[in-house]
Amino acid sequence: MEAEKKIRDFILENYLFTDDQSELNNGDSFLEQGIIDSTGIMEVIYFIEEQFSIAVEDEEMIPDNLDSVNNLMKFISSKQG
Amino acid sequence: MLLLDRFIAVSKERESHPSFIHKGETISYGLLADWFNKLSYYFLDKIDKGDKVAILLDNCPEYAVGVYASWQAGGVVVGLNTSLKADDLTGLINHCGAKWLIADASNRQLSKLLEACDFNGVILLGDNGSVLEQIPPLVSLKDIFNSQIGQPPKSISIDQDSLAAIIYTSGTTGNPKGVMLSHNNLASNITSIQSYLPLRSDDKTLCILPFFYSYGNSILHSNITAGACLVLENSLMYPHKVLGAMVEHKVTAFSGVPSSYYLFLSRTKLAEYDLSSLRYCTQAGGAMDPVKIDAWREQVDADFYVMYGQTEASARLSYLPPDQLKNKSASVGISIPGVELSVRLPSGDPCKRGEKGEVCARGNNVMLSYFNAPDETAKVLKNGWLYTGDLGYFDEDEFLYLVGRNKEMIKSGAHRINPREIEETIASLEGVDEVAVVGKDDELLGQVIRACIVTSLDETTLKKTIMQKCRQNLATYKIPKELLFLKELPKTASGKIKKHLI
Repeated sequence: MEAEKKIRDFILENYLFTDDQSELNNGDSFLEQGIIDSTGIMEVIYFIEEQFSIAVEDEEMIPDNLDSVNNLMKFISSKQG
Repeated sequence: MLLLDRFIAVSKERESHPSFIHKGETISYGLLADWFNKLSYYFLDKIDKGDKVAILLDNCPEYAVGVYASWQAGGVVVGLNTSLKADDLTGLINHCGAKWLIADASNRQLSKLLEACDFNGVILLGDNGSVLEQIPPLVSLKDIFNSQIGQPPKSISIDQDSLAAIIYTSGTTGNPKGVMLSHNNLASNITSIQSYLPLRSDDKTLCILPFFYSYGNSILHSNITAGACLVLENSLMYPHKVLGAMVEHKVTAFSGVPSSYYLFLSRTKLAEYDLSSLRYCTQAGGAMDPVKIDAWREQVDADFYVMYGQTEASARLSYLPPDQLKNKSASVGISIPGVELSVRLPSGDPCKRGEKGEVCARGNNVMLSYFNAPDETAKVLKNGWLYTGDLGYFDEDEFLYLVGRNKEMIKSGAHRINPREIEETIASLEGVDEVAVVGKDDELLGQVIRACIVTSLDETTLKKTIMQKCRQNLATYKIPKELLFLKELPKTASGKIKKHLI
């Protein structure tokens, strides 16, 4: 749950500019809902690489891995596992 | 023939053929025409000739329907940048006086926008219960498309020189610059584009460029009025997804800005994708490194068109024929049909071959004026010529080369950014003594934003405050990538900041 909190806080603070947890559902698509753009996704990648000690390969930059809090958690867990 | 008439004709001829592929759905020209008829019918007796219809949608088939139906009703289309914040959007809507809005219900700025603006009507794509209940008169686009109508409405008679669209190029607060394009401006430019590009009705063109900018707008109309199919991907956030769509749909054409190609080259394994269906690619929106063009062409066997233009010219001014890429490397080519190009000295006299001056253009594609900005208009429209603000020269074969700009606009990715907006945002903070914003060269985006600040406060604390303020007030693409704290800004004797030194 710590990973979830870290990711949510990062997205809320940097892209939604709020600490109101109700502003972000874990299933919200970053792309479809305009939460993050193509430069922002690189910041998210740098963030998860640093925070969770993983390396994101180019071919892993797909929506299934990165496009929501849920997808990020699944992806990080699979990389760490 | 105006674009609206061409759309109506082609949607009958190509009734069973695909017009758009979007989010896994294929929309036929027949269905597109049905939606167009229904929205036009809805607009009957609601929209007066010349009324502005603002469209706040990412690329989707409904965007095209909104444009053609607005024209059918005599309206003027104002495409709005979907990444702008509510205050910026409100500024633009108030500036142009839009009374109608077609918007995506999931747009996060919508609630604030509806509170701040006074619309005659708002049409929403998608469902958002809380917004729909909020302020009438709101109507769902889906309900309009599901309605039953009698005979399709007859098209009103459109004066070809009347205003068709306003495209905002940069600046959202204070001094927005709205390029006014007539029906004839758009039609002549699209006809010209279709004459030099090998565009066919059986083409499938992948479009990632937003329709609310002139490049995307030209891709929309040049493909749809040719009866081709547009495959829509709204972002290069996931470049592999875009390449996957190219393969899946056997895309035949692709258009991008330099950073689009750089992204593919740097973050994907291009060679692993079967792009053999691609016949041609186009590139505009700033100079692309010829080395990168070669790198792309080594991996993708398709004709590559370098193009040049600006919103004030409806979109396009010149193109480099693909067979001249090697001979005329780094050139933006020759004028497109119907456009005359000239390079001029500050005196207004034409330059000699090889001599540098300001690139000027004339033709039916040149805008009417900037909206409600006579002084700005007078600076760029002089003696029948459009002064582009770009500096360049012609070689001995009349091929045009660009060497820079005499305006301080920042070009980042597909965006044009006025540094003043960012300067004003940062300058409003306590502790900021001086600020200057410039474009810094960047391999991927062309330029990124650098803000130079003079302060007597703690830099770390101020940095956080500045970034927070920028994130709250500016669209993401306008947020500085680099904050540089300086003791003082370099200035001329008269006190003007020497931006080229920072």
